[in-house]
Amino acid sequence: MIKANSSALKDGSRIAVIGAGPSGSMFSFFFLNMAELIGLQADVDLYEPRQFCHRGPSGCNHCGGIVSESLVQRLATEGINLPNSIVQRGIESYTLHMDVGDVEIATPLSEKRIAAIYRGHGPRESSPEAADSFDGFLQELAQEKGATLIRRLVTGIKRDDEKMTVHCADQTSADYDLVVVASGVNSRLLDIFESDMPSFRQPDRTKTFICEFHLGAELINKTFGPSMHVFLLDIPRLEFAALIPKGEYVTLCLLGDDIDEALMTRFFESPEVRNCFPENMIPPHVCHCYPRINIQPSRPIYDDRLVMIGDSGSTRLFKDGIGAAYRTSKAAAKTVVFHGVDADSFKQHYAPLCRRIDHDNLVGKFVFNVAGLVQKARFARRGILRMTRSEQQRSKGPRRMSGVLWDLFSGSASYTNVFLRTLHPAYFGSLIWNLVAGNLRGGTGTKDHEREGEGSHARH
Amino acid sequence: MPGTEPSFRSLAQQAEKQPPCQAHCANSGDVRGWMGVIAQHEKNGLTRDQAFDEAWRKIARMNPLPATIARICPHPCEDSCIRSDKDGAVSINALERFLGDWALSRTLPLPSVIPRLYEDSIGVIGSGPASLSFAYQMARRGYGVTVYERGESIGGMLRRAIPEYRLPHDVLDAEVKRLLKVGITLVNNTDVGTTIGLEELRDRHDVVFLGVGAQATRRLGIPGEDGPGVTAGIDYLRERKRHSQTLGGQRVFVVGGGNTAIDAARSALRDGAQVTLLYRRSETEMPAIAAEVDDARAEGVEFRFLVSPTRIVRDGDKLTGIEIRPMRLGEPDAQGRRRPLPGNGQPQTLAADRVLIAVSQAPDWHGLEWILDDRNSLHADQDGRLDKGLWAGGDDRGAGIAGNAIAQGRLAAESAHAELRGTAAPRMQAHKKVVQRERVQHDHYTNCFRGERPRLPENQRLTNPDAEVDQTIGPEQAYREATRCMSCGLCFDCQQCFMYCNAAGFTRLADTGPGNYFILALEACEGCGKCVELCPCGYLELRDTEASLP
Repeated sequence: MIKANSSALKDGSRIAVIGAGPSGSMFSFFFLNMAELIGLQADVDLYEPRQFCHRGPSGCNHCGGIVSESLVQRLATEGINLPNSIVQRGIESYTLHMDVGDVEIATPLSEKRIAAIYRGHGPRESSPEAADSFDGFLQELAQEKGATLIRRLVTGIKRDDEKMTVHCADQTSADYDLVVVASGVNSRLLDIFESDMPSFRQPDRTKTFICEFHLGAELINKTFGPSMHVFLLDIPRLEFAALIPKGEYVTLCLLGDDIDEALMTRFFESPEVRNCFPENMIPPHVCHCYPRINIQPSRPIYDDRLVMIGDSGSTRLFKDGIGAAYRTSKAAAKTVVFHGVDADSFKQHYAPLCRRIDHDNLVGKFVFNVAGLVQKARFARRGILRMTRSEQQRSKGPRRMSGVLWDLFSGSASYTNVFLRTLHPAYFGSLIWNLVAGNLRGGTGTKDHEREGEGSHARH
Repeated sequence: MPGTEPSFRSLAQQAEKQPPCQAHCANSGDVRGWMGVIAQHEKNGLTRDQAFDEAWRKIARMNPLPATIARICPHPCEDSCIRSDKDGAVSINALERFLGDWALSRTLPLPSVIPRLYEDSIGVIGSGPASLSFAYQMARRGYGVTVYERGESIGGMLRRAIPEYRLPHDVLDAEVKRLLKVGITLVNNTDVGTTIGLEELRDRHDVVFLGVGAQATRRLGIPGEDGPGVTAGIDYLRERKRHSQTLGGQRVFVVGGGNTAIDAARSALRDGAQVTLLYRRSETEMPAIAAEVDDARAEGVEFRFLVSPTRIVRDGDKLTGIEIRPMRLGEPDAQGRRRPLPGNGQPQTLAADRVLIAVSQAPDWHGLEWILDDRNSLHADQDGRLDKGLWAGGDDRGAGIAGNAIAQGRLAAESAHAELRGTAAPRMQAHKKVVQRERVQHDHYTNCFRGERPRLPENQRLTNPDAEVDQTIGPEQAYREATRCMSCGLCFDCQQCFMYCNAAGFTRLADTGPGNYFILALEACEGCGKCVELCPCGYLELRDTEASLP
């Protein structure tokens, strides 16, 4: 095996980054920044045939489009300042909808706000000024740093002892010292990779659903406000559902286990969902897609002269994919600049981060399973509703349930952190009390906000 | 799902569209098809040379005279090329000409079935482009064909009227010679209508094709037109080909605005004359190829628009002048060209030595008048059928460009073949939908400016009167130009649909070729429309039009 130092990049080394989504662009940005610091002159070719200035799915990287404020600020410290034209709407609260009622959870601290963004240039048929692309912005940033954007579709990556070769659909090819795969899981590149390299196993994926409703800014302000609406409904296989207001549109995001039309029909028929929309009518959507998400990382995640970042490698389960892209791209860039591009360097300096993400996802799976139980158990929903409401009504004191829900919905904190907080005796005690009180007649103590579900009448 | 059904019902599908180049080609040439063979040769296991051969065969099956026709065609295909909205139309014409010359230099035989398959015998009257096209299409299907030509050499107007500087005779000779090799017998010096009757030919052959062209010249009908010093443009061109005309130092006036007028004017210039072209409408209404008009002007032809000759002036037998009067433009006629009307102003006499009249030609029906209808024209079906076993095509059905004659000959042959074989008549060009211009995404294609063909510098043209003005591009430029084709309306393997379909609905085919790279599993489609939006050439589309796509 090549020693770490002998695999270090030299002046004139060439790097191919496949995919200019957030991880690819951020890798290029971080790499070029760090390389500049140590005086390394290496070329970065950023391959991306699609154009984020196109509206609709073709120019989009399909996701709910939520960036937590903590990530926005972390990016700012890295010199990545998101302009206002990209932030569609500052989200200031979450509204949790359940059959037993709904509750608005205000932003826990001002810095914990979240930003709604479009990955591409907005929904199909939206007006040109409707949105600037988050991915497009990062891509330009990488280009400004010196990455060369190559508008070719990569169809294969081959290796020999000396180098990596990138092959494109237009039959051109080029040689590199390092290939960084940032193609995500909504491209066939990893399929091709798997068939070319028997030792490689691509990530497991599941199907999600995203669509856009056009309601107009005024109506959105009136009905949704600066609040992201989250649903805890008893629908099998549905792990998370949210309506995210953005400018002229509202984005619907359904996450779970192979979202299909039957599940969606149940979702749209739920009164909790219909009631969110003006006149309780679900409008026709202008744009929809079923993006795949990574639920099990690819293996291996690195090799000599090869590293997978973002969704192509390890990413966070359901939430904060952009945060994971940031962390993996930065760690990979650091490894490449300061250690080397051989498997050993990646093993020592890149793999630990991926392992931490994977472990946290295991905890996340457990947390979502618990949330699934809550979805099924009405008494638990009542307890949570009561606890959250009372926290939101008082101006002082810890808001333990609110904080847990906020971080779970926004992905602002790790799943491990969320889970550990639920083990706190104060949280636990309060939950038990609210479970009891919430399920006693008239025990919510928050009648002013209450909208009882149909089931509650059965108790009379 | 209330209110959400429409876009769920819109699913992607693969649907070939007609490209505008083909829609605007007189002969419906499959330009995109042969461009694709060249541009995508590596994907499909051909060397570049093999791809040139194959592309030429694709052209030749539709038009057996590519090197000839490419030299004279006004190429409306290029005017409609969608790439002209980006960085210049693909040089389709230059590429076709390259392939024509390529095949001649490699002495490639025309695609055909040899030996003869069918007993039926085919007679062709005339040897212009329509007749040659018909003869080839029948011969390549396995029929024995005899061509009757009233003169010595074959080629019709291609040979007689097109000047050498546009179409050298060795190119025409070589293509005609190759054509005769597919099993066509030539009988020359046989004038149907005088030396042999049409009915006699119809007895001799199972099918007869009438391609007598338009040999008779139309006249102005002005005083002094019949006399020394006045020649029909077409006769001048014909005589000049025999090198029996010289206009050195003379003041020559050419009357007319079509290609014959321009050919006559530029030829006269090459003969050393001082040439003025008179046209009764304005330049916009000129039927001549615009580039030829520009060349004529650059070479030194003077143009006078909105004037009409009223009298030829002579001193004894010697032509001394031409009287003209001003015209103005009236309302557009049926073809959309504005009508010329007498204008205000006095007639004026211009000093002249020769007048060449090139206002139009008509068929010369001597001995065959009996086949005309009451309005003195041929009454043919859309495919050129006049009667059982009798078809017609080319200028005898109305003047048109040579490409049109080739098309009429080809379509008549398809129809005759169907009649002889007792199969259903081919439906007249069941055209696919033409691709919508706005569906082709310019920004997908890398900028690559149109390569122009080499041309003889203006200052060398008059001193080398027979030297070709337009020249042939080389193989490198030809290949580069073919890769500029955006393959409007047909898959060219950009692979984006395959790569980015969230549902992995596209599968690569084992046997690939232009238009044939992937198959979409319709049941896999999730209707997001991403592939349709990504498809740069407009091949993929959504089924069900309630879709909210542009």
